Amino acid sequence: MAAKKKEEKTEFVNKQGKRLDGRTTDQVRPIKIQVGVVPRADGSCYLEWGQNKVIAAVYGPRECLPKHTASPYKAVVRYSYRMATFSVPDRKNPKPGRRDIEISKVSSEAFERAIFTERFPNTAIDIFVEVLDSNAGTRIAALTCAAVAVADAGIPMRDLISGVAVGKAGGKIIVDMNKFEEDAPDAVDIPMAILPNTEEIVLLQMDGLLSKKEWLEARGKAFEAIKQVYELQKQALLKKYEQPVEAAENGGVVQ
Amino acid sequence: MKKIVVPGELLTAERKRPGEHVFMQNGKLYSDVIGILDDKPGDVSVIALEGRYVPRMDDVIVGVVGSEKATGFMVDLNSFTQSFVSKKDIREQLKPGYIISARVLDVNELKEAELGQIRVFYGGEIISISPVKVPRVIGKNASMLDVLKRGTNSTILVGRNGWIWAKGGNVQLLIKLVEKIEREAHLENLTVKVQDFVANANKSVKPQAFAENPALEERKAVEKLDKELKGMVLNNESDSNGS
Repeated sequence: MAAKKKEEKTEFVNKQGKRLDGRTTDQVRPIKIQVGVVPRADGSCYLEWGQNKVIAAVYGPRECLPKHTASPYKAVVRYSYRMATFSVPDRKNPKPGRRDIEISKVSSEAFERAIFTERFPNTAIDIFVEVLDSNAGTRIAALTCAAVAVADAGIPMRDLISGVAVGKAGGKIIVDMNKFEEDAPDAVDIPMAILPNTEEIVLLQMDGLLSKKEWLEARGKAFEAIKQVYELQKQALLKKYEQPVEAAENGGVVQ
Repeated sequence: MKKIVVPGELLTAERKRPGEHVFMQNGKLYSDVIGILDDKPGDVSVIALEGRYVPRMDDVIVGVVGSEKATGFMVDLNSFTQSFVSKKDIREQLKPGYIISARVLDVNELKEAELGQIRVFYGGEIISISPVKVPRVIGKNASMLDVLKRGTNSTILVGRNGWIWAKGGNVQLLIKLVEKIEREAHLENLTVKVQDFVANANKSVKPQAFAENPALEERKAVEKLDKELKGMVLNNESDSNGS
């Protein structure tokens, strides 16, 4: 009973429509995206989404080894989602667990839809994403980061993948939940990723239950938020090709 | 400044012929790669800024001989797979590590290249650049290649796969120039900038005399070969859209 009273006291959205961290119900945490952070990789990206910090590197299309995993019809997308041991309060076991393998699988399926895989038969596209710091919504942060990295690698794709996690906490539908909101007793968490041009959903998972009305509201809010994320992804990609600093004039090499 | 587009960006809703790196969805044309928009009346295409080398017919490439098999050699050409060259098709004896130039005769449905017209190059260095930026190294009517050759005094062969073979002259300067081209490939007036860069570099450094090169005879032979090859390279660049 004591616990139940506590629950009623926690108000996730106050009367002014503000959340505990000061955001409105449909406001996304601040996002920072930087392209080309891993010079060795074909494409790479670093992303900060609120407290989440994610780095992604893409290699390929390249030879698919071992050869029996290759497909003569399309490129195989190998997506690896891993969390650093120090990314969570308790040490994360570096061995890929059930959760890491599942996220890698669903994310690679999202990319198989976005990338023109049929143009590169018998090859593999390797996407590595490492979560350095986490605070809810890392699978979407990883996917968003990886999409920019794939575009940076020059791999032909239908569209960038953009996503956001929507959910319910304290009976209200909110966008981009943080860890505290995700741990609410009635929390519902829906990570969702789409190809923004066609609004085709490429990743959709749900933890908890929603009524149809709530789902429609959540989806509408998510699509609005995803548009903002998509714009930031585009800007980050274009920023790489702004005029470079003319520091190399006297034979010096700019790194 | 030309417009840079990202994957999935709407190019036009008009009826136009889709060129390279353009795909159609619901009757509209979209870009499938990050690149420079080339919007002409009638057709639209995107010049990619990133990407790997995909072999195409009639490309002249620079390759490195890999392992020796019973009937031929595997050649690395900076693509997804190595290409096989039969011993029947080559007059010279190859060894692993040799640098060769070849023409892509055919590409199969798995994007594997069949090579022909193999020539061996002794010595020199390979400089690599992103394959999508090779047209900029050659320039319009080989203008950039001319600047590079005159500025560095090297013998240069540009492979469509992003590998540049160079020998003699100021190769160190050439490496810097290629780096500059790679970095600023999306900007305009690149040839002029590279020209200035060469002039600056040659002012501070004493020009290297030919006598410093001990293998003068070999150099002459290579230059002769290079003249023959020039025709091949020019053919190669006529279908590339470097502007």
